[in-house]
Amino acid sequence: MSSDAVKKITFRVQRFDPEKDRKPHFQEFIVPVKRGTTVLEGLLYIKENLDSSLAFRTSCRMGVCGSCGMLINEYPHLACHTQLEEFHADRLTLKPLPNMPIIKDLVPRLETLFEHHKSVKPYIIRGDNAEMEKPTAGYIQKPHELDEFLQFTYCIKCGLCIAACPTSASDLAFLGPQALGQAYRYCADSRDEGQDQRYQIVEKDHAVWNCHFAAACSEACPKGVDPALAIQLLRKGVAAKALRVKKTTAPALLATSLPQAKPKIDVPEFTVKQK
Amino acid sequence: MKNTYLQLAQMVTGALVAVLLAIHITVQQSDVVLGLLGIKVAGPTTWGSMMERAHQGSWVGIYISLLAFGLFHALNGFRNILLETNLSASAMRILTGCIIAFGVIFLILGTYAPIALFSSYR
Ligand code: FES
Repeated sequence: MSSDAVKKITFRVQRFDPEKDRKPHFQEFIVPVKRGTTVLEGLLYIKENLDSSLAFRTSCRMGVCGSCGMLINEYPHLACHTQLEEFHADRLTLKPLPNMPIIKDLVPRLETLFEHHKSVKPYIIRGDNAEMEKPTAGYIQKPHELDEFLQFTYCIKCGLCIAACPTSASDLAFLGPQALGQAYRYCADSRDEGQDQRYQIVEKDHAVWNCHFAAACSEACPKGVDPALAIQLLRKGVAAKALRVKKTTAPALLATSLPQAKPKIDVPEFTVKQK
Repeated sequence: MKNTYLQLAQMVTGALVAVLLAIHITVQQSDVVLGLLGIKVAGPTTWGSMMERAHQGSWVGIYISLLAFGLFHALNGFRNILLETNLSASAMRILTGCIIAFGVIFLILGTYAPIALFSSYR
């Protein structure tokens, strides 16, 4: 297709308004598309020209914010990150992400995702409370220590992994690949001392041991994160801890505790006169 | 770490059941297997042959272990499946209690026969 050739594609969109509808139904829209048109652009065309009541989430339009996750031809994708050409089809079926309740049309309710995410304490936990409250310096981390968890920091919390996960589909209380992946991300961080707390959380029912290792989460992730690997590594850590064969390493030191640490630079004088 | 120990036990018992079951099946079918090679042996499922094994401590140990590991592996696996059916926590507790009771009763019943046979011989 040349860059400005226009083709028409039928968008078959699942509609559901909890105030009016008893169950979801489909509505079709004809959308003109050019080379490079994304599914999100098609949806924006519908909203601007055909039906302004269509509800979907979007924000960054560049695969960063994780808002526009939806089921496109029965597979979870980011609408802004998916070009229509990829499907080689004249019809496209759009549904909201499964394994989550629907708020309206293509907008799923993401509360459970964020509750599960929060439940695994996705932040650095240190023993020194004073430093946690009022940080005086950064912690030292070597490149190979960063490599241990770097890929898992790319998670944008879009929920595609949960939509793809067969265990999340059957077990509604399952923590899910997103939260478990993030639990590993922080446990593997050399600056963190919260492993024991997180291990207690993820070893309960509906958590790390309930993953069936279908690895559908890793396949669906638009950022190339491998949550299935994180879950296996988390299992390894939890098992090693239970069997008392886990090597304990001292957490990363504060940068200021090194003699060669650079002295803090004073705040420069104001160059503009203060009133 | 209760669930971690249960899962590790699930993996270990799975491997042990595979080994013990292989021994059991091989012995039960040994006349057929050896018959294919032209070696004729008395059937391992005959009364005499079974009584002979029942009076050997090692066989009694193998059968009781197979029963215990098999029961644990099957019932814990069954509980794992039930966990995914979105039952309430209290319903799950009751079912777990029933599963444990079922396992203990069948373990006692299943070990009674080989131990009674073995001790009658002594
Ligand atoms: S709009 Fe931000 S990821 Fe698609």
